[in-house]
Amino acid sequence: MKYKIIVILIFLSLIIPITVFSITGEEIIRKADAIQAFDTSEAYGEIRVKDRFGVKVSTFKSWTRGKYESLLEFTSLAERGQKILRTEDELYLFYPDAEELIRMQGSMLRQSMLGSDISYEDMTGGKDRVSQYDIVLEGEEKVNGIDCYVLTMTARVRTVPYPKEKVWIDKETFIVWKAEYYTKSGRLLKEMETLRVEEIGGRMIAMESRISDKMKTDTETIMVINNIKINIPLSVDFSLDDLSW
Amino acid sequence: MKFLISLAFKNLTRYKRRTLITAGAIAIGLMMYIFVDSMLQGAEIESVRNLNWFETASARILDDDYWESRFQKPLDLNIPDPDKIINTLNVNGIAATKRMVFSGDLILNSQDFGEDGNMAITVTAVDPERDFEVFEFGRTLSEGRFLKPGEDAVLLGSWFAEDIGAKVGYWITIVTRGNGGFYEAMDLEIVGIVNCPNPNVNRSLVMMPFGTADEYLAMDGAATEINIKLPDNADVDLEVVKIQNMLNGNNLTVMSWEAMAVDYLAIAESKRGGSGMIMFLIFLIAAVGISNTMLMAIFERIRELGMMRSMGMSDKEIRMAFMLEAAGIGLIGSIMGITLGALANIFIIYVGIDYGFLLRDMDIGYRIQAIFRGVWNPGTIVSAFFAGIVISTLVAYFPTKRALKMDIPSCLRHQ
Repeated sequence: MKYKIIVILIFLSLIIPITVFSITGEEIIRKADAIQAFDTSEAYGEIRVKDRFGVKVSTFKSWTRGKYESLLEFTSLAERGQKILRTEDELYLFYPDAEELIRMQGSMLRQSMLGSDISYEDMTGGKDRVSQYDIVLEGEEKVNGIDCYVLTMTARVRTVPYPKEKVWIDKETFIVWKAEYYTKSGRLLKEMETLRVEEIGGRMIAMESRISDKMKTDTETIMVINNIKINIPLSVDFSLDDLSW
Repeated sequence: MKFLISLAFKNLTRYKRRTLITAGAIAIGLMMYIFVDSMLQGAEIESVRNLNWFETASARILDDDYWESRFQKPLDLNIPDPDKIINTLNVNGIAATKRMVFSGDLILNSQDFGEDGNMAITVTAVDPERDFEVFEFGRTLSEGRFLKPGEDAVLLGSWFAEDIGAKVGYWITIVTRGNGGFYEAMDLEIVGIVNCPNPNVNRSLVMMPFGTADEYLAMDGAATEINIKLPDNADVDLEVVKIQNMLNGNNLTVMSWEAMAVDYLAIAESKRGGSGMIMFLIFLIAAVGISNTMLMAIFERIRELGMMRSMGMSDKEIRMAFMLEAAGIGLIGSIMGITLGALANIFIIYVGIDYGFLLRDMDIGYRIQAIFRGVWNPGTIVSAFFAGIVISTLVAYFPTKRALKMDIPSCLRHQ
C-alpha cells in the first residue's frame, strides 16, 4: 500500500507541471501578439521623452490595419506633419518641411524615434516571433498583483535586434505587463512596463507603457494612448499617398 | 652696352639707400613667397603622409557595395576570409592587415568619468599583431600599452580621451549591433592612449582587438576591410589593378587612397587654388612695392634724364640704362630674398609653426595635428629669384617711357 502511494505521488509530481503549464510558450506569445492586432484602429496619444534635460511631449494620431500596417502622424508643434508609415515590408518617414520621403532601411532603422528610447526598428518588430525565437515558459510570477506567465525568448537568428527577451504576460488577458530586452552577452538593454490597460470594445488594450534604456541613466519614454477606436472604417489606405496629404 | 651696364652699376652705388630700400622690398616679398609656398607644400605633403599612415593606407580591399554604404558602416558587407587574401598578398610581397569598422554608442559611467553619459562613436577593430605592418600607430603611444589579441580592451586617441576625461585603467561600455543586427554591449578597459598626428583620427579614435570584436559581433572571422601598404615609390593605380586581378572578382573591390580620400583631395585642390591666390597677392604686393620705389626713383631723376638726353643719349639707351639699373636692384633684392627665404625655410622645416591652439577644435582639412612644417622647393626658389629680377625690370619700363615722352626743357625744369 505504501509502495502504491509513493508511485502515485511520483506520478502526480510528474503530471502536475504538465497540467499547470498546459499552454505552451509559443501559444502564449501567439495570443499576446493576437490581442495587439486589430482589424482597424484609430488612436490619439502622446510620447513623453524624459532625459537629463527634462521632459519633451510629442502628440500623435495613428491608424492601424491588421498586424503590420500602421500610419503615425505627429500633431505637436515641433514635429507637426511628420509621418511614419509602416507597411508589411517597409518603413517610411515623411518630413513636411523638406517634402522629403525617406525609406528607412539598414542602420537607419536603428535610429531613435524623436530622441526617445524607441527605435524605428522597434516599430517594425513583432513579426513572426514564434519562428524567430526559442520560447521557454519559465513559470509564473505576479506583476503589480497580476498573475503572469514568465517566458524567456532566445533568438534563433541574428537578424532580430534583441537576442534575448524576458516577458511577463497576463494569464487571463495576455497583455504583456513587463518585458526585458537583453544583448547577446546577456546585458539588460531595455525594459518595458505596461502602466495602464483599458477594456475597449471587449478587448484589453495597453493605454500607457514605459520604455527605459537601461544603458543610460535618467531616460525613459512613456507612450500614452488617450483615445482609441477599434474596428472602424478608416480614411487611410496605408499607401505612400497617405504621407503627402 | 658696357657703358650702359657701368652707368647702371654706378647709379646703384650712387643711391645706396634707395637701392637698399627697393631691394629690401623685393627681398621681403620674395622671402614671404618662398616661406608661404614652403609651408603650404609641407602641409600638403604631411597631410597625405598622415592620411596614408593613419587613415586610408595605400589601398584598401572592400566588399563591392561597402563604399556606397560606408557611412552606415554595415557589418554584413564584409570580406568573409580576409586571412586567405592577406596571405596571398604577403606571398606577392605586399603588406596587408584586416580591420573591422563599426558604429556604436559609447556609454560612460559616473564611477570613472564623474557623470553618466553617452555618445555616438566609430570603433576600429585591428589585428594587434599585423596592424603595424601597414599603419604607423606603433610610434604614437603616449600612455599605457598597445592592444593584445583577444582582450577586452580599447585604445583611444589623445584628444578624444581628453574630451571625455578618459584615463588608462578606466572602463567604458560600447553598445552596438552585431552582424545581422542584434544588440551587443561590450565592457572594455582603456589600456592605452595614442597621440596620433592625424587630427581627424586623434579626435575620434577608438580601437579594439579584432578577435574581441569578431567574437562579440559574430563576424565569424570576416573583416570589413583589408588595408594595404605599398612602397612610397609604387605606382598606386597600377598596383590597385594588379591586386584587383589577383582577387578574381569575389565581389571585392580595391580602392586606392586617392579614391578613398577624394573629399580631402578636393579640399586640397581648392586650397591649392586659394594658396595660388595668396601667392599671387604676395607677389602683387611685392610688385607694387617695387614699381612704387622705381617710379619714385625715376621721377626724382627726370632732370638727370633730361640732361642725359641733351648730352646726346638716345631714348633707347636711356631706357636701357634705367631698366638695367632696375634689373640690378632686382638682382640684389632676389639674392637677399632667397637668402632670407632660405633662412625662414630652415626655421619652418626644422622648427615649424605650432597651430595646435587653432587645430585642436577646428577641422581645416589638413591632416596636421599642430606643427606646420615646410619643405625645400628648389623650383620655387629659382622662380622667385628670376621673378624678382624680371618684375623689377618690367616695372621700370613704364615710368621711364612716360618720362621720355617729356621734351628736354620740361625735363630740365622738372622739380
